Amino acid sequence: MQALIAVRFRDAKSFHTAQGRTAPAPVRAVLIRIVAVSAIALQAGPAGHAQSAAEFFEAHVRPLLVEKCFSCHTQTKMGGLEMTSREALLRGGQSGPAVEPRAPERSLLVRAVRYSDERLQMPPTGQLSKEEIKILTKWVEDGAAWPATEPIMSEAEGGKLVIADHHRDFWAFRPVADAGPPPGRGSAIDRFINARLEEAGIALAPPADKPTLIRRAYYDLVGLPPSPEEVTAFLADASVGAFASVVDRLLASSRYGERWGRHWLDVARYSDDRLNSTQDEPYPNAWRYRDWVIAAFNADMPYDLFVKAQIAADQLDSREMGRWAREDLVAGLGLFALSPKFQDDRIDVTGRGFMALTIGCAQCHDHKFDPIPTEDYYALLGVFNSTEPYEHPLAAEKVVQSYQGERKRADEAKARLQEFLDDQSGQLVDALAAQTKAYILAAWSVAGPDGSPLAATAADRNLDPETLERWVDYLAGWPKQHPLVDDWKTLAAEGGPLAGVKRFAETVEAKILHLIAEKKRIEDENEIRLGGDRSGTNIRRTALLALPRDEFYLWSDLASPNSRDLPSPAKTGVLYYKDDKLDRFLSGVWKDHVVRSRAAIADLEARVPAKYPFLHTLQDKDAPSNEHVHIRGSRDALGEEVPRRFLRILSEGEPEHFTSGSGRLDLARAVASPDNPLTARVMVNRIWMHHFGRGIVATPSNFGMMGERPTHPELLDYLAARFVDSGWSLKALHREILLTDAYRRSSRGPAASEGADPDNRLLWRSNRRRLDAESLLDSMLLLSGRLAAESGGPPRPWDDRAIRSRTVYRFVSRRRLDVRLGLFDFPNPNQTSPRRFGTNTPLQGLFFLNSSLVIDLANSLSERLETQAGAGADERIRRGYELVYGRQPTDEELALNRQYVDGSDGDWPGLMQAWLSSNEFLYVN
Amino acid sequence: MSTRLSRRDLLRLTGSGLGMVGLSQVLGAQTRRSPLAPQPPHFPATAKHVIHLFLNGAPSHVDSFDYKPKLSRFHGKPYPGGNLRTERKTGSLMKSPFEFRPSGKSRIPISEIFPKLGAVIDKCLVINSMHTDVPFHEPSLFMFNCGQRVAGHPSYGSWLTYGLGSENQDLPGFVVMCPGYPVVGPQLWTSAYLPGAYQGAYVRNTEIAPQELVPFLRNPSRDAEDQRKQLDLLSKLNAMHLKREGPAPQLEATIHSMEVAFRMQLEATEAFDVRLEPQTIRERYGDGDFARGCLIARRLVERGVRVVQVYYGNMQPWDTHDDIQHMRKLAANSDSAMAALIQDLDASGLLDETIVLIGGEFGRTPTVEVAGVTRLHAGRDHNNHGFSVVVAGGGFRQGVRYGATDDFGFKAVKDPVHVHDLHATMLHQLGLDHERLTYRHSGRDFRLTDVEGEVREDLLS
Repeated sequence: MQALIAVRFRDAKSFHTAQGRTAPAPVRAVLIRIVAVSAIALQAGPAGHAQSAAEFFEAHVRPLLVEKCFSCHTQTKMGGLEMTSREALLRGGQSGPAVEPRAPERSLLVRAVRYSDERLQMPPTGQLSKEEIKILTKWVEDGAAWPATEPIMSEAEGGKLVIADHHRDFWAFRPVADAGPPPGRGSAIDRFINARLEEAGIALAPPADKPTLIRRAYYDLVGLPPSPEEVTAFLADASVGAFASVVDRLLASSRYGERWGRHWLDVARYSDDRLNSTQDEPYPNAWRYRDWVIAAFNADMPYDLFVKAQIAADQLDSREMGRWAREDLVAGLGLFALSPKFQDDRIDVTGRGFMALTIGCAQCHDHKFDPIPTEDYYALLGVFNSTEPYEHPLAAEKVVQSYQGERKRADEAKARLQEFLDDQSGQLVDALAAQTKAYILAAWSVAGPDGSPLAATAADRNLDPETLERWVDYLAGWPKQHPLVDDWKTLAAEGGPLAGVKRFAETVEAKILHLIAEKKRIEDENEIRLGGDRSGTNIRRTALLALPRDEFYLWSDLASPNSRDLPSPAKTGVLYYKDDKLDRFLSGVWKDHVVRSRAAIADLEARVPAKYPFLHTLQDKDAPSNEHVHIRGSRDALGEEVPRRFLRILSEGEPEHFTSGSGRLDLARAVASPDNPLTARVMVNRIWMHHFGRGIVATPSNFGMMGERPTHPELLDYLAARFVDSGWSLKALHREILLTDAYRRSSRGPAASEGADPDNRLLWRSNRRRLDAESLLDSMLLLSGRLAAESGGPPRPWDDRAIRSRTVYRFVSRRRLDVRLGLFDFPNPNQTSPRRFGTNTPLQGLFFLNSSLVIDLANSLSERLETQAGAGADERIRRGYELVYGRQPTDEELALNRQYVDGSDGDWPGLMQAWLSSNEFLYVN
Repeated sequence: MSTRLSRRDLLRLTGSGLGMVGLSQVLGAQTRRSPLAPQPPHFPATAKHVIHLFLNGAPSHVDSFDYKPKLSRFHGKPYPGGNLRTERKTGSLMKSPFEFRPSGKSRIPISEIFPKLGAVIDKCLVINSMHTDVPFHEPSLFMFNCGQRVAGHPSYGSWLTYGLGSENQDLPGFVVMCPGYPVVGPQLWTSAYLPGAYQGAYVRNTEIAPQELVPFLRNPSRDAEDQRKQLDLLSKLNAMHLKREGPAPQLEATIHSMEVAFRMQLEATEAFDVRLEPQTIRERYGDGDFARGCLIARRLVERGVRVVQVYYGNMQPWDTHDDIQHMRKLAANSDSAMAALIQDLDASGLLDETIVLIGGEFGRTPTVEVAGVTRLHAGRDHNNHGFSVVVAGGGFRQGVRYGATDDFGFKAVKDPVHVHDLHATMLHQLGLDHERLTYRHSGRDFRLTDVEGEVREDLLS
C-alpha cells in the first residue's frame, strides 16, 4: 500500500515502494478486503450513495493499481509505461496512451486487463477478477479521474499546505448531515442497513435464538455471562419488551461502566505506571482516573462533557458542567497527566482519541495525506506546553499544609543530622589516615610471618580493632589493581623484610594523606566549576577535575564513603565509617547531639501524616507561550512561531487564537462542539464497533484520507446527529443500537450471503468474537464463584490466588504488562489504541492447559457444581452447562461428559478445565 | 526431564488425539492460519534466523573491534575535530588500555580481551562504520530494536515473525533472554501495533529449569496421559460446536492452537534445557546467564525459531563511563560463549542461514569522559557518530573489516552504515524487502526502517 502514496511525493524515498506480490498475509488481507468492498459498491450501484469520483478512486482504483500494476510500472517503467499519475497514463508507453478517458473500449489499460488481445495481457501473473476489471472499466468510463489530492502535499520544498475547498469536501470534514432513514419497515437503523442489503441482494441471517442473544447482550454491555436464572427468566418472558428490559437492566448495572470504561481506557492508553527506563515507577493515584472514567460511563455523563473534562476540567464554567461539580470532573485530566515517557503523545491522543485524526503525523512536516499543516501541530503543542502536571489534593487545605509542613520539618532535621555525621566521618578518615603507618605495621604483624592475633595486636598498639581488620582484609587482596597493593603482595610473599614493610607503610601514609587533601581541593574546584548547580544539564556538560585512575582507586578504597566496588560489607572505604558504625567513635557532646537528633527525627517522622490522596491533573503555567515550528521535527531547527489555536480544517477561515491561559478551555470547547464534524461521529463509531465487531468506519482512530471510508455514511451521520440531540447520551445510543434487528441476528446465515459479503460489511449477520482478556478472566472468576462484588480503588496485584476483582481493577503496567493480559491481546498502554486484535497462539493454549489460575478456578467451579447440583453426575453436568454455556446439554453431550468423568475416576476439575478452554465458552456469537 | 512425559508418549498421544475426532483434515487445512505459520519471503532468502547477542549499555569500539593506533600516539591530546556532541562533556583522546592482536587468517586486529572471538574472526564481518542518531540509551535502544527513536513501534523480531512466521510451530517464533530487564525493558521486544502473536517471548534466563523459563509450560499436577484424555474430550466438544457453527476459520485455529500447545510442552522443555547438552559443550560456552543464553539460542535456532535475542545482562552493564577497564571483566564473561556459538553453528552448517549479530546500541567516545557525573576520568561517553558491530553468518562477508571511523574512532567516515541500513540488509538476507514489509496503522503503512534504510550489498558475500 506504500506506493499509493508514493508517487505523489517529491521526497520519493519516503514512500516509494510498490506493494509486492508476495506481501505477507495480513497486508494482503487488507488489499483483498478493499477490493471486495469495491465489488459490493459496484453492485450496490449509485442510488443515493454515489461516491465522489475522488472517493471511488481512493477506495477502489488506487489500491488496485498499487497491488497489481505498480511493481512494474512505477520507477521501472516496463514497456515504457509509468502508471503513477493520470498524465503518465495519458502519455502511455511504447504501445501508445494507456487510457483514453470515457472510452474504455479504446483504452489499452482496459483491453489489457480484459485479456482480449493475446499480445497484451496484463497483469502477466494472472487475470484480474471480474470485479476488478469492472472497477477499472468504470473508472475509465467516468473519465479516469485521478483526484487532486496532490495539493494536500507540499508541492515544493518549503511550499505550504493551504486548505482548499476540496479538502473541506472530504467526507469526514463535511458537517454531519442527517437526512433521515430511507423508507421501509423497522427501526431507523435497520432501514439504513436493510436498504444497502436489498440493493446488494444479500439475504439476511435469521434472528439469533434467545440464549445466544442474551449471552451476546451480557458480554457486550457488562463483559460477563448471564446467570442461568437470568437466562431462564428471559426465555420465559414472551412479552414484546423482553429484550428491551434486559438491555435496560444491563445499562443500569454498575458493571456496564466497568466494561465500557475499559474500552475508553484503551483509547486513553491508561496505565498505573510510567514507562520508566530503569525501574518501576507507579503513579500512586492513577486509579482515580480509571474510576472516574468508569463512573462517568455509569452515570451516562454527556459525552461532550466527558471530553471537555479530560482536556480542561479545571477551567469549565458552571453552565457547561451541568449537574456535575468541578470536583467531580477534575480527575478526568488524568488522561494527559498520566502520560508515558520518552514521547509526547498528548497531541496524538487528542487527535486520534477524540477526533480520529492523525495530527501526530504533522510533527515534522505537513501531513502527507490529510489537510493538517505542520503549524497545526505546533499550535496545539503550544497549548500542552503551556500546561503542567498538578497534584490536585483530595484533602482539606489544612491537611495538605500540615502534611507539607511536617514533611519539610522532618526532612530538614534529617538533612542537618546527615551533614553533621558526614562531617564527623570525614574527620575520622583524616584521623585514621594519619595513623596509616601504625595500622600497616600492625597488619604485617597479624598477616605476616608473626601471625599475631588481631585483637591482641590492636589492644597492644592502641589501635581500633575493626579498622585493623579492614586493613588486613584490604591488603590481603581486594581486587583493585593498584600498584601499591602489588608491592604489599611481594612483601607478603617474601616474608619481609621489615624495613621494606616500614618503607611501604610510610609510602602509603604519605600517599593517602596527600590524596585526601588533593581530593578535597578537586572537590572545591569542581564546585566552583559547577557554580553550585549539580542539576542535569549542568553536571553533564561541565568538565570537572578528577584524580588519576590509580590514585582515584586508592583514595576510593581507603577514604570513600561509597566504594561500591569493594567487597566490604559496609561498601565504604577502609577508613570510612558511617551510620551506626560511626557511633562508637563519637563521645561527649557529639554523641549526645546525635542521640538527641535521632530521637527528634523519629518524633518528627511520627508526626508526618500519610500523604493525602490527590488526583493527577493539569494546570496552566504562569506564563503560557507559543511554540515555534520544529523544522523536520528537530528541536535544533526552529521555524516561525505559531499562535495557539485550533486546527485549520475544523475552523471556518483563520482559526481564532487561544488567548485565555494555555488555551485548553478553548481547545476543549472546539473538540467537543456539536459543530465539530468528527467528535460525535468518532464516538458513535467506537460504540458501534464494540457492538458489531467492526466500525461503520473500520479504522476507528483514523477518519482521514488513509483511513477507511464508512460502509454506511448516512447511518453514521444519523447516529451522530441523534447522539448530539440526545444530549450526547451513550446509554440512549446503546439502547437504540441493541434494539435493532441488525443487532439481534444470528451469526450464521445463508451460504449465498457468505459468498457475496464474506466480511459481513453490510451486516447481514452478527459477527462471532473471541472474549477479550478482561471478559475471559472475569467470566472464569464469576463461574468459579470467586468474583467479588468489590469495585474501584487502588490497582490489585496479579496474584493468582488472591484475584477476586474484575480485571479492569488490576495493575496495568507500561513497563511490564502482565503476561496474561499480553497473551490475550491487551493493547500496548504506551499508545492510544483503536481496537483489539483477537490473535490465536499456542501460548494461549498453554495458559488453559497449565496455568495455576485456570486450574484453581476449575477446581472452584467443580466444588460449586457439587454444592449446587449434588452428587448426581447428570445433574452436575446440566447445571454446569447452564452456568458455562447458558444452555442445556444435548443427550450426546451429556453422555460424552459422563463418559469422561466415569473414565477418569471422577475428574470433575479436569472436566471444568476443558469447558473453560472450549470454543463455546471462548467465543460469543 | 519428567519421567511422566516422554517424547514417544507425547507423539503417540498427539496422534491419537487428532485421529480420534477426525479433525486432522480440518486442522491440516488451517495450520496456515496460525499467525506464526511460515510465510514465503518476498524473494529467495539466504538466511532464516537471527541470533542477536546484545551487549547492552554500549561497548567501546576502540577497545574491542576498532583498532586505532593513532589513539595511543595522540593520547592526552585534544581530538582535532573538536569533540562531537555526545551526552556529556569529554576531554582529550584516551588510548585503549588493551592490546590489539591481529586475529585469524584475516589478521583483523581484535582487542586482547576477546581472544576467543578473535580466533573465529575469519567467520565474521567486523563493521567499523556503524552510526545511529542520538547519544542516549533509550532512543538508541529503540532504534536498534524497533527502528525508531521512540516507544510504540514493533521490534525487528516482531517484524520478522510477522513477515516470515516461524519454522517451528511448537515454539515461540521470537525469543528474548535477559537475566532481568535491559534499560527500557519489554518495550524493546514489543509487537506494538502488530498483532500480539509477534511479540517477543521473554525468558528470564537466570533460571535453568525450562518450566521456570517459559510461562505455563508444565502442568503442576496432571500427567500427559490425563492431559491427553482431557484434550480428547475438549476436541470432541469443540468438534461438535464447530459442526453446529458451520465452517469457521477462527474456531478451527483455536482448536489447532490447543493441540500445538500440547506438543509445545515437550518441545519447549527440551529446547530450553541446557542440561541436555554434554558437559564438554557447556564448558566451552562458560558459566553464567549470558553463556547459557547463547547455548539456548543455538538450541532454539536448531529447532527453527526465527529470532533469538540474548541480552548480556540486567540494565546496561557495558555502560563504562567511569573506567573502560571494566570491559575486561565483561568480555571475560562473554567471549567464550560468543565464540562457541559461532563455532557450533559453523560446524553444523547452520551459520550459513543464521545471522549472528554482536554489539550494543551505540559506541563510546575515543575521548575521556570528564563530566561531573563520573567519579574518575578513565571511561568514555556515549557515541552515536561511530561504532562497531560484528556479524557472523547469514550470507554476510567473512573475515573482513568493513568501513572505518576517523583516525581516532569518533565518527564513521568511510562507508558509514546506519542502523536502518543494517536492518534493511538483515531483512534482505531473510528474503524480505524492507520497503515492502509494511503494516497499516494509524493511517499509514509503517515499516521497520521508517522512511530510511538501504540494503548494503557490500556487506554481503
